[in-house]
Amino acid sequence: MSELYERIATAVIEGDAEIAEKLVRRGLRKDLVAKDILDNGLVVGMGEVGVRFKAGDMFVPEVLMSADAMQAGLEVLRPELVASGIKLIGKILMGTVKGDLHDIGKNLVNMMCEGAGFEMVDIGFNADPETFVEAIKEHQPDVVGMSAMLTTTMRAMAYTIRAIEEAGLRDRIKIMVGGAPVDAAFAERIGADGYGSNAPAGVDLAKRFVSAA
Amino acid sequence: MRTNYVVNSGVRFQLLSDDQLQELFDGVLHLLEYTGLDVYHDEARDILEKAGAWVDGLRVRLPAYLVKDALTKAPRSFTLFARDGNPKHNIHIGPGRAHFGPGPTCPNFIDVETLKRRPYVKSDVPLVAKVCDALPNIDFVESLGTVGDVDYELGALYEFAGMFPNTSKPIVAWSYDRFDSAGIHEIAVTEAGGQEAFERRPNYVHYCEPLSPLVSTFEAVDKLIFAARHRVPLIFTPCPISGGTAPVTSAGIIIQGAAESWLGLTLAQAIQPGLPYFMGGVFSVMDMSSMILAYGAPELPLNMAALTELAHFVGLPLWQTGGVTDSKTFDEQAIIEGSMSVFFSALTGGDLCHDVGYTESAMTGSVFQLAAMDEAIGYSRRITRGIEVNEDTLAVPVIHNVGPNGHYLREKHTRRYYKNEFWYPKLCDRRNYEEWEMMGKTSFKDRTVARVQDILATHQPSAIKPETERVIEKVLAEAEERVKDHK
Repeated sequence: MSELYERIATAVIEGDAEIAEKLVRRGLRKDLVAKDILDNGLVVGMGEVGVRFKAGDMFVPEVLMSADAMQAGLEVLRPELVASGIKLIGKILMGTVKGDLHDIGKNLVNMMCEGAGFEMVDIGFNADPETFVEAIKEHQPDVVGMSAMLTTTMRAMAYTIRAIEEAGLRDRIKIMVGGAPVDAAFAERIGADGYGSNAPAGVDLAKRFVSAA
Repeated sequence: MRTNYVVNSGVRFQLLSDDQLQELFDGVLHLLEYTGLDVYHDEARDILEKAGAWVDGLRVRLPAYLVKDALTKAPRSFTLFARDGNPKHNIHIGPGRAHFGPGPTCPNFIDVETLKRRPYVKSDVPLVAKVCDALPNIDFVESLGTVGDVDYELGALYEFAGMFPNTSKPIVAWSYDRFDSAGIHEIAVTEAGGQEAFERRPNYVHYCEPLSPLVSTFEAVDKLIFAARHRVPLIFTPCPISGGTAPVTSAGIIIQGAAESWLGLTLAQAIQPGLPYFMGGVFSVMDMSSMILAYGAPELPLNMAALTELAHFVGLPLWQTGGVTDSKTFDEQAIIEGSMSVFFSALTGGDLCHDVGYTESAMTGSVFQLAAMDEAIGYSRRITRGIEVNEDTLAVPVIHNVGPNGHYLREKHTRRYYKNEFWYPKLCDRRNYEEWEMMGKTSFKDRTVARVQDILATHQPSAIKPETERVIEKVLAEAEERVKDHK
């Protein structure tokens, strides 16, 4: 059956959602375990996409096509995975902080994290600290991601983290921050757990958080 | 429907007006008719005299009608072919097409291992050819050096013999004399499959260099006659120096150099009507403090732009010059001078731009300068390709669908275009600071050196035919035999 896993991985690498979905269905019909299809097919393909992207052999629009293919396969598996009580690799809650209307960077991280197998909760842009706190209570994520595009709004990250601390939720989650003006030193100063310099770095960071947990 | 809709498919650049070009043209014709040139070749003077030239001792004067007739015979558009039939390595000469490649005959070379300057040797030839073969923006091949470690008569022959098997891109071959030319031609013709096949699909160009001011030397003309009789596309390229061997003014050097070039044109078209012919060459200034021919001077690309426009005005392709520097080392000066002249050359659409990779005012060839300029050429070509405007590129429905605060990354429109609309650098770094730091904080120079060394370690040019290999051995053995007496 390793050949089918390989073909699923290839469909993901080639960004062919239709084929990925078809092959995953075929796998289920042949009584393959959903978790195995995920781990040996879809995740393997997406892993290779990450490697190629870093090497400069793939570009963002192609990575997104691959993420779409991964998603298409995952949708087919989801009922099976839920039924067998298997969790995805983790849940990330993501938002652009208060005062900032920039959406695209955060969306890009969302898409790539989804492609890497995370369950994503997007609370949108201009999200004030209270919105973050309520959403954490409701969705119980493993990781919270915050984005800011402006030097004027990056301070809102600090206020949001303070609000999360005051709500007593800080120990339950890992916090990652990103966006054009943000750097590692700033992330440390405001008490975040990590910083991603671009979308793939954000995915890597989230993966490290959940595997360490 | 769009009727009579004007499209500018690339960036337009024009230095001289039609009136100025006409004045330059008349100036060249006047020089050829009233001053003339000294031609140190009996047969060449005979041929020209029979064609209608006025000969007086060495001096040859060409009536304007004769030059105009030669101009009408030479083609503006033709193709130079890859020896292995690879269409990507063919060069289509014609309006709006700029091509790039290195130059010949530097005495020194930057060693690819030690990065130190040293005399150019035979074993450098295949390396240069290989790097040219691999670089996507290098279109034709020369060796960047004069082979110093063989008999001093045979440098050009060894050079061609070393280049030909290591690249399938068209080669521009120079030679010392007719013997070299014959050897080079035999190799090229064998690979092409005979003289007739070669004439249909020429795989190299012959390069000859007359002397400024206003002299056609015996060797330059002798090689021209050989090339014309064998229908080898020809470059006849003077190298006048403003203030030294040419007038100090741009207009003056241009008409003198063009006259030198058109003497060759008239002779070549008298022998072989319709022969593909490039006028040349290197038109720069003498630096009045160091006395060098300045390759990095802004007057070089400026003169070359004017010369390109004159060539195209009269319907000839041009042997352009660019990607060159006076710097002694791979530094900011080398990149500024090289990139500016490359971009300017690309703007003019000068047909074959040579000397890419020259450093130290043509005294030292460098494949690193060449590889760096490959990047500059790619950059320039993206700009000169221009902007396409049509219903699909306007993207009105795409913008409508995405709407405010959306994004275009997932759009089919983006996927369809992003590879061609954007240029992707090979050497320029666009990573963010952290990633750049992680990748070893490399400089442009580090990455250029790494790319060249990677090409040398991995690139495999297509092979020549076994019979061509045998002919190369035979030609070299015959040449060694010819010169053995003076050893």
